[in-house]
This record gives sequence, C-alpha cells and structure tokens, in this order.
Amino acid sequence: MTVVTTRPTIWTVLKWALAILIALIALFPIWWMVNVVFSMPGEPVSLNPRLWPTSLSAGIEKIRVIFTETEYLRAYGISLIYAVLTIAGVLTFGSLAAFEFSLFDFPGRRILFGIILLSLMVPTAVTIIPTYLLTSQLGWLNTMHGLVVPGLASAFGLFMLVQFMRAVPKDMIEAARLDGASHFQIYWHIALPLCRNAMVTLAILTFMQTWGNYMWPLIVSSKPQLYTVGQVVGLFNSPLSHQTVDMVMTANLLAAIPPLLFFLIFQRKIVEGVAMSGTKG
Amino acid sequence: MPFLDISSVSKSYGTQGVLENINLSIEEGEFVVFVGPSGCGKSTLLRMISGLETISSGTIAIEGKVVNDIEPAARGTAMVFQSYALYPHMTIFGNVSFGLRMARNTKEFIASKVAQVAGILQLNKLLERRPGQLSGGQKQRVAIGRAIVREPRVFLFDEPLSNLDAELRVQMRAELMDLHRRLGTTMIYVTHDQVEAMTLADKMVVMSGGRVQQAGPPLTLYDDPDNRFVAGFVGSPKMNFLPVKTVEPASGGVQLSGIAGNGTAFLPLEAPGLIGPIEIGLRPEHIRILPASGSEAGLFLEGRVTLIEELGSESFVHLDLDDGTRMTVRAGRDADLSAPTLRLAIDLSHALLFGIDGDRIRSQSGPRA
Repeated sequence: MTVVTTRPTIWTVLKWALAILIALIALFPIWWMVNVVFSMPGEPVSLNPRLWPTSLSAGIEKIRVIFTETEYLRAYGISLIYAVLTIAGVLTFGSLAAFEFSLFDFPGRRILFGIILLSLMVPTAVTIIPTYLLTSQLGWLNTMHGLVVPGLASAFGLFMLVQFMRAVPKDMIEAARLDGASHFQIYWHIALPLCRNAMVTLAILTFMQTWGNYMWPLIVSSKPQLYTVGQVVGLFNSPLSHQTVDMVMTANLLAAIPPLLFFLIFQRKIVEGVAMSGTKG
Repeated sequence: MPFLDISSVSKSYGTQGVLENINLSIEEGEFVVFVGPSGCGKSTLLRMISGLETISSGTIAIEGKVVNDIEPAARGTAMVFQSYALYPHMTIFGNVSFGLRMARNTKEFIASKVAQVAGILQLNKLLERRPGQLSGGQKQRVAIGRAIVREPRVFLFDEPLSNLDAELRVQMRAELMDLHRRLGTTMIYVTHDQVEAMTLADKMVVMSGGRVQQAGPPLTLYDDPDNRFVAGFVGSPKMNFLPVKTVEPASGGVQLSGIAGNGTAFLPLEAPGLIGPIEIGLRPEHIRILPASGSEAGLFLEGRVTLIEELGSESFVHLDLDDGTRMTVRAGRDADLSAPTLRLAIDLSHALLFGIDGDRIRSQSGPRA
C-alpha cells in the first residue's frame, strides 16, 4: 500500500493562518483576564509585562474577596434564577406554539407566523421603551417577574422549534390520535420527545443570551437586591468605582465562566442548533 | 343491517371533489380491499372511516350507529399506516402499549395485553428494542400489534406492505391472511396493487376517479367486470381490448367486423340494436398461440412479437397486430416463440363487450357475455 501525501496549497496555508489569527484575537482578552487575575497586583501591566500567570494564591484571594465582600454571590443567584426561569418559559411557550404552527392548520396560521417572524427583524432598542412602560404599568418594576416575563415569548425560539417540528411525520400524530391521545398528550408524549435535541439547543442558546443580557435588567431593576451579574460587573467597571484593575478583571472573569463552560460542554449542540435553524441567536 | 355502512358519502376540498356518492356495505368479519390507481380516493375513504378525515356529505355507520361526528379513537377502529408511524423514542413495548396507557389502564392489564399480542405476532424478543433497531417486516408487525392491542371493531390498513421488498411482501400478506382468520375481525385494506387485492380480499372494491367502479368477490370482478376500467385493472397481465364494429344485428347474436383490421366473427350474444364501434375484451389466457403451419377453423389473428417476458413456468408475449392494437398473450413453456410473427386463435366464448362509453354490454337473455 502506498501512502499518498499531498502538499498543502498556498490557499490552505493562508486559510489556516487566518483562522489561527482570528482565534488568537478572540482568545487573547480571555487569556489576559486570567493573566491579570492570577498574578500579583500590577505585575502584568508593569514596565515588563508578563503574558502568563504568576500567582495562583493571589487569584484565589481576589475571588474570595469578590464573593465575600461584595454582592457578587447574590447577583450570581439572581442571574441563575433569571436564566432558569427564562429557559423554562421559552421552552414551554415556544414548544406549545411551535406544535400548533407546525403540525396543525388553523385560520390565520400563515399570517400569524409571518408577523412573529417579522418581529425578529425589529431591533430590541425599538421595543424596549414600550416594554418598559408596559412592565411599569403592571407594577412589575424591580421584581423577578418583571425581569423574566418580557423575555418568555421568543420569536427565535419559536422559529427554531417550528423548523424541527415540521419534520415530525403527520402519520405519527394521526396514529397517536387513533390511539386515543388528547391534543395535549400528543404534544407531551410525541412531539416534545421528538424535539428533544432542538429543546436542548434552544435552552443553551437562551442561557447564553440571558446570562449576557445587560440592558433589560439594568432598565427594569434599579434595586441592588435584584442586580444580575452583568449589572454588578458594570458597577465594578464604572468610572467612579474604587476597585483596582485586577479586582475588575476578577469580576469579569467570574461572570464569563458560566457561559464559557456551557459553550465548551455543549459546543457541538450550539453549532448544530445554529446551523439547523439557519440563523444566529 | 350491514356491519359497516357507507351511505351516499362524498368528500370535497373546497370546490375540488375527491369522492362522489360512495355507497358500500361491509359485513362483520369481511376482508375488504379498496383498490385503484393513485389519486382515486381510496385512502381518503379509509381515513374517513377512521375519523382522520371529515365527511362532506353522507353517513358512515358502524353497527348501526352513525360515526360521522365521533372522535377517531372512540370509533373502535385501528389503523396501520404505510409508514408504520411508530414512535421512534419509545420501545416496542411503549409503542404497542401507547393506546392502552392513554386509556389509563392498569400496569398489570397493559403488561398482559402486550404479552398476548406479542405472542400472536412473535414480538416477544423485540419488546425492549426501539423501532430504529428493527427490520421493515418487524416494524410492520409492531404497527399491526399496536392496532390489535386495542381490540378494534374494524382494522384499517393503508398500503401497509408498500415499503417492503417483494419477498417480504408475500410473506406478510400470508401473515395478514392468517391473522384475519384467527381474529375474525373486519379488515379494510387499501392498496394500488391488484395482485395484493385479489389474494387478500373477500370483497374487492375497485375505485377510480372518486367513485366505486365495482365491488364484489375478486373472481367475480375478474370474470364479470361491470366496465372497461374494472376489466382492465383487475388481472395481470391486463385484459386485451380489440376495437371492433358491430354490423347489422343477426338473430341470436352479434356480427362483429374489423377485428384487427378486417377479421369478422359472430358472437352469440342477445344485444338487439347494437350497431357501431365497440371493444371486445379478452384475457391473455383466452388467446392461444398456434403452430406456424396449422389449419384450424375459427378466427385467427397475426401479430408481430415486440417483447417476451419469461417467468419460468410461463411467458407473456407482447404483440402488435396489423391495425396497431397491442396484445398480451400467456404462453406455456412448450410454445414455439421463435418466429417474429405469431398466429393467434381467440376464444370468443370468453370475450366481453364494452361500449364506447366504457360500460359493459351484457346479454339481454342471459347473465354472461
């Protein structure tokens, strides 16, 4: 047997070089955060800057200070509750609506779906003031439901799940009807389990989006007790903050860890999900 | 009162008519096969019986009770789909027991019913597997099991064997016949394959263009079709049709002319006033290939051989007659098919007559013609 080796073309080399360059540019800020956190204060930004961490204990101490001497831990909890409730809501409402839109015919289905898709094209900045006013009139400012409810109806999530559920064969739905399953039982026992992959992907994408959401929590909750991680990190970064650069970096790093971990664990599902829905979150 | 009575049933989607004035009676325990070309409305009729499709007008009654507005699951019907429609995320046990679980039966009852059905269909060893791990034939058995377990009054099969290979199809056909014999339940089966219909049916319902063309036992439809469509659809290879003319009515029969060009013949059929172009229908087995040098009496035709289909025990010979008419003849192993043209003798005692409107012309004095 002969092994055929092909020499890489210039084009291939260029492609790889470009990919590595982009990866470096993307990774450098994260690496810089790690570098600043796990070094003695001021060391990486001194006259002889270092690109690698020098003190694990200094980093641990900074994390301890952040967790024990600031409101960071509570903000973590708030963010987590906010993300979990939003995920639960988006999955529930998205899958129920997608079930109807994709598998059943009803008057106005096309128009309604068209309107929902159109809402994907409206920038958040346009809807944020009316949403705020509505939330305010409902008396939901500075409440968890004020934070969560406006984000429950996700047009993107609906679109993604509709694409998935369209692939469920009609025969299967009819077989379940003949087996005596009610409308809700068909959704629960047939459609939902068949879309498990899409649901997992949507949950991950919703988590990433909710965790990183800065604007809505900032607007709806002015009470520090309801601050999310994003807002607390914002306080650390604010011009009048008395925190040193390394403490700010620690706060930033801690905020970035959950989505980073999520991404590393579910990387394949996220890429699949984005590819399948034909759009980006 | 018939067990299942379909009375003046029509179906339309908007202005598009799909089924028109269907009237059909099905007795308890009968194996009825709806057969017809694609788009004839046979599956729609089956789905209307199941309740998956609404009825535009007319009534469907099971055991005397009109079921038009009754939910599919409450009609006492169970359906086996062409695609099997098994739930891929459930085990075979889960699939077969799904209907029983939806009806909130006890676990013990479900387990005993599934075990009973698994025994009938030899599914015992497959119960923990998922549909993706089964072969086509096994999936089909599971789909049948899912129907049986609900103990329906009527089984509905929508082209259930179409996705199987030829060998498995024959095997499953035999299994279905055996199942029908053992269960004795009314079964309605939809297929476009007339061989399948002939072999399975107690009653065969031939449909075309949204209408029932004829219903009856398969051999009755084969021997005594009501119209040209049924005559041509039932039987493989299909019936040969020869355009002819009837000239002045002779006493005690019909004088035919223009058979394959200029052949003439007398048909002992009482049809007074029948003059003009008609067609005679002849089954391939009623045409005989004559030896090249023969001197037999009767009507002979000559045809140019265009194709010979060898089937082992017999052959189907396709020929073009002088006037361009195509014919198919069944030939035994001993027939000499080497010549480019063959002489054919036709047995007019089995010939059927069809008017230009496609309707059968029957003898006015007797049942057969």
